[in-house]
Amino acid sequence: MRQSNQLNRREFLVATGAVAVGAPYFIPSAVRGANERITTAHIGVGGMGGYHLGDMIERREKGQVNIAAVCDIDETRLAGALKKAGPGVQPYRDYRYILQRKDIDAVVIATPDHWHGVQTVHAAECGKHVYVEKPACCTIEEGKAMVAAATKNKVSVQVGSQGRSEPEAYLAHRYLVNGNIGRISRVDCFHYPSPEDNNPVPDSDPPPELDWDLWLGPLRWRPYNKRYCHGTFRWLLESGGGQIRDRGAHVMSCAMWWMGADGTGPVAIEATGTHPTKGLWDSAVLMDVTYTFKNPDWVLTWRQMPNEQLPSAEERTGDEPGGKIVRPGYGAIYRGDKGEFIHWGGDGGTWAEKKARLWEPPAGAKDVYKSPGHKEDWFKGIRTGAKTIMNIEAAVGVANLCILGNLSFILGRKLQWDQAKQTIVGDEQAQRMMSRPQRYPYHL
Amino acid sequence: MSIQNQAVNELVAGVKDTSDKVRTEAWLSAGKAGAAAVKPLAKVMTDGDLEVARAAKRALWKIVHYTGRPGVNEEKRAIETELAGLLGNDQLVSVRRGVLWMLSEIAGRNSVKPIAELLRNAELREDACMALERIPAKGAAAALKAGFEAAPEDFKPNIAQSLRKRGQEVKGYPSQKLAPSKETNLKPL
Repeated sequence: MRQSNQLNRREFLVATGAVAVGAPYFIPSAVRGANERITTAHIGVGGMGGYHLGDMIERREKGQVNIAAVCDIDETRLAGALKKAGPGVQPYRDYRYILQRKDIDAVVIATPDHWHGVQTVHAAECGKHVYVEKPACCTIEEGKAMVAAATKNKVSVQVGSQGRSEPEAYLAHRYLVNGNIGRISRVDCFHYPSPEDNNPVPDSDPPPELDWDLWLGPLRWRPYNKRYCHGTFRWLLESGGGQIRDRGAHVMSCAMWWMGADGTGPVAIEATGTHPTKGLWDSAVLMDVTYTFKNPDWVLTWRQMPNEQLPSAEERTGDEPGGKIVRPGYGAIYRGDKGEFIHWGGDGGTWAEKKARLWEPPAGAKDVYKSPGHKEDWFKGIRTGAKTIMNIEAAVGVANLCILGNLSFILGRKLQWDQAKQTIVGDEQAQRMMSRPQRYPYHL
Repeated sequence: MSIQNQAVNELVAGVKDTSDKVRTEAWLSAGKAGAAAVKPLAKVMTDGDLEVARAAKRALWKIVHYTGRPGVNEEKRAIETELAGLLGNDQLVSVRRGVLWMLSEIAGRNSVKPIAELLRNAELREDACMALERIPAKGAAAALKAGFEAAPEDFKPNIAQSLRKRGQEVKGYPSQKLAPSKETNLKPL
């Protein structure tokens, strides 16, 4: 993958069609031949990390990638991943060994959210292309650093809000941008509640297979508690941020894309919600967040509501592009001056309402970008420098929505946001909370 | 008993209640309790009942978040003073660690000295350093500089990083953020 082919950059871009759709996002430091394998390493191999590893093993069989290394701070998980990946794959506990290796082109980061910013910045600084799970970041400062590092080091970053690459996301996007429900003034996202910790336990020693210091990484030190991890980190505001930062990074990703709002931001954010009554987890159980956008004026809401209030899911045969709706508990309703449109999911399952799926574009209708697949779109970014569908700027914009919603919830007050300056306005405490001091040496 | 003391007593009683619902309602209402509630709540943070201690901590955070709102500097300073008073050796490390992070959100120059003193405390120096990194007062940067000069070799890189984060120049002690340090016991197949 490191050797370049005989085409110069300009010839290569023309040959691949990248120039035809506009100037590339960046010129990669080495032209990647379309048939060359990309050498990857996997940082975090549990949960979604396990899925990505399995996916890349399939791609290895197809000749698309080499897998050079797997990394996890849990030795049990690491051993499982090593067995799955097979011979020739090096195991690591510390991801920084991977960043030192010159033979690795790209990393797939699927660690807990509080690591995303630091690891993406470090990988970019070492010249690695990055696929990082959503949400992109946990603080406003992390997001800025991620954008800066990716831009400066000319690496392709794809964030794992893969709903943008789903077939029915394309159909929904095309339907909406062609004005089928008129001018859209409101998008209401819905989601079932975050869980409460019904089994709180005291702090204890970490299990021997877990490197607790590395799990915490940038977070301030605290004693181990088994309700922090693994997957349960999601329900802590500091590490996971609750449903809004988990699924909000999917559903609001679709909203920002379909509304043509990537690169924009709200002027005001106001959140309310209910709190868990016991246990370690502290993210909102029920939640209402209102984001007010100006020029153009529209409103985005995020609502975690009781299950019985969720919209009912469309009946399907299973033959639709996205198949049956298997996760009906979240999605969004788009409200226009000529009608409404609903979708369910927004992540690896994105299901558009029937009228969008059946809509036949008339002559002269606008078309929209159709992703070849979320990983394929990333590979294209690596090879051509084309901007990925969930590029780091767009992903940080979506993550900022989640972060600002949680900040308003924590502080119990409305926040004003200056998109151009990327800062909260008129609230010194909230401004301090746009960043969070990180433990040395696990810092940006 | 003054009305204020009565309100604080009711708050503490609610936080210590055996009912999850009552405790939650109590800590959620703590925001307006003000400076008088800080020390009584800190005392409950060490309660033997895990959920009671947690409710007290959340009540204190609620006060910090409420008092951090714009335009109430006098109220904020009063809370800050009470919190800074909890950084002494008479408090448990867990309480002092929590208080350092509370101060990091609202403190000004008045808290710098008691926080800086904890740069010499092996258990709390990391949190103290991060709190000073976050407090925008010029005195916080000066305290970090002084702390850097006096720090043992193993902690100088931490303070150097906090100083750089604040835009200060530091000679030597470059960040080791990209240097791997932890090896696995596993071998390739």
